[in-house]
Amino acid sequence: MEPDLKYIIGIDLGTTNCVLAYCEFGQSQKDTGPRIQLLKIPQLVAPHTIESRLSLPSFSYLANDAESMDGSFDLPWASDRRYATGEFARARGAEVPDRTVGASKSWLCHSKVDRRAPILPWNAPVEVAKISPVEAARQYLEHLVSAWHHQFPDALIGDQQVVLTVPASFDPVARELTREAAVAAGLPVEFVLLEEPQAALYAWLAQQGEQWRKTLAVGQSVLVCDVGGGTTDLTLIAVDEEGGELVLRRVAVGDHLLVGGDNMDLAAAHLVAARFAENGTKLNPWQSVSLWHSCRAAKETLLTADCPNTHTISVLGRGSKLIGGTVSVEIQRKELANLLLDGFFPLCNLGDRPQRQPASGFQEIGLPFESDPGITRHIASFVSKHCSNDNGDVNLPDHVLFNGGVFKATGFQQRMISVLSTWSGAPEQDDGLPVQPLTGIHDLDFAVARGACFYGWNKNSGGLRIRGGAANSYYVGIETAGLAIPGAPRPLKALCVVPFGMEEGTESHVPSGEIGLVVGQPVNFRFFRSNARKEDPAGLILDHWTDEELTETDSLTATLALEGSDESYVPVTFDSRITELGMFELWCVRAGDEHGGDGKHPGQWKLEFNVREID
Amino acid sequence: MGLVAATQAFFKLLFDRELSDSFQKMLDGELQPRIEQPNLQVTTTRPKPDPDPVRSDAISLLAALQREARFLDIVSESLDEYSDAQIGAAARDVLRDSGKVIDRMFGLVPLTDAKDGSQLETPTSFDPTEFRLTGNVAGEAPFRGMVAHHGWKATRCNVPQWSGKSSATMIVAPVELEIG
Repeated sequence: MEPDLKYIIGIDLGTTNCVLAYCEFGQSQKDTGPRIQLLKIPQLVAPHTIESRLSLPSFSYLANDAESMDGSFDLPWASDRRYATGEFARARGAEVPDRTVGASKSWLCHSKVDRRAPILPWNAPVEVAKISPVEAARQYLEHLVSAWHHQFPDALIGDQQVVLTVPASFDPVARELTREAAVAAGLPVEFVLLEEPQAALYAWLAQQGEQWRKTLAVGQSVLVCDVGGGTTDLTLIAVDEEGGELVLRRVAVGDHLLVGGDNMDLAAAHLVAARFAENGTKLNPWQSVSLWHSCRAAKETLLTADCPNTHTISVLGRGSKLIGGTVSVEIQRKELANLLLDGFFPLCNLGDRPQRQPASGFQEIGLPFESDPGITRHIASFVSKHCSNDNGDVNLPDHVLFNGGVFKATGFQQRMISVLSTWSGAPEQDDGLPVQPLTGIHDLDFAVARGACFYGWNKNSGGLRIRGGAANSYYVGIETAGLAIPGAPRPLKALCVVPFGMEEGTESHVPSGEIGLVVGQPVNFRFFRSNARKEDPAGLILDHWTDEELTETDSLTATLALEGSDESYVPVTFDSRITELGMFELWCVRAGDEHGGDGKHPGQWKLEFNVREID
Repeated sequence: MGLVAATQAFFKLLFDRELSDSFQKMLDGELQPRIEQPNLQVTTTRPKPDPDPVRSDAISLLAALQREARFLDIVSESLDEYSDAQIGAAARDVLRDSGKVIDRMFGLVPLTDAKDGSQLETPTSFDPTEFRLTGNVAGEAPFRGMVAHHGWKATRCNVPQWSGKSSATMIVAPVELEIG
C-alpha cells in the first residue's frame, strides 16, 4: 500500500446535498469494523459568515460583482470568490433563482444538451456568467476537497482511497462526466465509482455487522428504494450462496427517474396555496418559498405514526411586522396524506405501468421530469421486469431497504410495504406481511456516504462485497450495407458490445465481422443500452427491437489516424472494457491487432462519448 | 471588557504610588492626559492593515436566529394588538426554526438523566453551577432532593465565524431590498 494512504473516503455527490464520510485506513479495526465519521464542511451561510455543517447543499450561487466584493464570499481556503456553494447558495436559490444553479446532477445525464457548455442556470439572463453541469459538479467536489485539506493538511486527498457514488441508473457518459469533474476537483485519478443504492445497502451492512447473515437468507432478494430530493433510484440485490458463504449480487437497476421529495413538497405547497387562495390570500413568490419549507415540515409531521389529525400551516409576514403579517390555514392530515400517498405512492397492481402523458403542472422546463410521479407504478414495472423467472412467475423481493430523506415521513415506507405485499397475492402471514423493510439504525441523510466509505474499507480489508458488473447490456448501431433505397434510411442493426453483468476489471473482445472505418475523419456510432435483455452475449447482432428494450444514449465518436499510411479504410473490430474503477471503455481495434492489449498500440483507438448537443 | 479594565486600573492605582498621584492631579484638573502627537511626516510605507475585526459570538448567534427563524422580529413585536391564536400561528414556525438553530449550534442535552420528580443526591464535591438548591437548604453536601428541573448542558458551541468589516460588527440583519 502507498505510504501516504491514511484514510478511506466516501463521497455522496447528491442531487441536493453532498456528504463526505471517512475512516482511518488500517487493519487494526478488522474485528470491530471501521469507525466512520462525517466531515464537517465549512461553508457560507450568509455573506462573511462561515458555519460548518455535515452536508453541503449542491447549489452554486453566481453572484453579482457588487455582492461578492470585499471578500464577502471568502472561505477559509479561498479569497476573492465570485460564487458561493452550499447553504448560502441554497438559500439564495429561493430569492434569486436566475443566479442559482441547482439539480446540476440531473443535467449530467440529460443527453439532449451539451454538458460541458455553460448552460446553467437554465434560462438565466445574459448578464449571468453561466456554468456547465460538469463545472457545477467540480465546484461542489472542489469545496469538499478543500474542506478536507483544511482539516487534514497532512493527508492529501490525492493520496487517499476515495469512493464516489453515482446513481445506479447513470449511463456511461454521465459516469465519464462525473469522473472528469472529480479529477478536475483534485480527487485521485484512480478513485472508485460506486452505485448509490449499493452504498445504502453497505451502510446497512456496516451497521448490522455479522448480524445481517441472520436477517437475509439464500434465495431472498432486497429491493433498495432510494428516493432523494430530485431522483428515484431502484436496485435489486439477490442473496446467493457460494462455497457455503452468503454472497450478495446486484441483479438489476432501474431507469433514472426524475421524481423525488422536492416534487412532493411542491405538490403539498400547491394544495395549501389553493387553500390560502380560497381564504382570499394570494401568496407572493417570497411567501411561496416560505410555504414550501412549511410544507416539508408538515409532510414529516403528518406522515408519521401518532400524528395529530390537523396541522396549521403558516406563512410568516414578510416585513418586520411578523405576527401581523402571518397568514395560516388548517390542513387535515387526511387530505395531505391522500395527496402525497395517492399521488406519489398510489395503490396499484403489479400489472400497472407508469402513465405516459404530456407533462402537466409544476414542471421546470429543460429537465425530462417523469410524467408519472407514481413511484409505486415505476416499481411495479421494475419488479415485473426483473423479478420474474422464465415462466413469467413473479418472485417479489423479500425485503425493502428505504433510503433518502423522503422516508423520514414513515407513512411512505408503510404505504410501499403494503402495496408490495398486496402484489404477492398471499394472505397476511402470522409473522407479518410477506415483504419486510430492512430495519436497524439507518441514517437516511448520510447513509450513502457512510456506505461508500465502508465499501472502500472492505475493498482494502478483503471484507464483504456486493457483486455487480454492468447493470445494462450495451450496443453500438451498425448501418447495414446494401442497396440504398431513396428516402429510406439504411436498416440499423445493434451489435452487443458489453453483455449484462460484465464484471469490473475485465475486458471482452467482441466477436463480429470486420467493419470498415474511414481514416482521418470522425466516425460516429449510435449507442444503445438495455436493462431488459440480460442474456445477449457480446457479438450478438439484433435486427429489430422495441423502444422498451433498447434506449439510445449519447453517440460514440473517434477519429482514426494512421501515421505513415495512405490507407483510407481500416477494417476494425471492437474491444470493450470495464475498468476496476467502474468506467466503461470501448476501443476500435484494427483487424490483426487484437492482442495489442495496452491501448497504446497504433492500431487501437478509444471511442469517446459525444456529449455535444445534437442538432 | 469595561469592568475588567476598570478593575485592572483600580489595582494599578492602588499599588502604584506615582501613578496614583498623577491620577489625583488629573482629577483635580492640574494635569492633562498625555496626548500622542500625530506623526506629521509623510511616509511611503503603507499603513498596516487593520487587524481582523472581531464580532461577538452573541451577535453571530442573534444573526443566525433572525436569518433562519425570524426570532428577532417576533420578540421585537408588540403582542398587545394580537389574539393568542395569531401569536400562536407565528410562534409555531419561529419556535420550530429557532429550535433547529440552537440544536445545531449547541446540541443541548439535559444535565442529569434523572427525570423531573425523581429523587437525586448531589456528589460530596458540590458545585453550585451544577445544582441550584431550593427549599430547606441546610447542612453540607451531599444534598438530597426532588428534581424540579433537569437542567441543560451544551454538547458543543459552534457559532458561525464572521469576517466582515469593522464598521459592520454590530449589524445583525441586513436591509432586504426587492429589486424590479
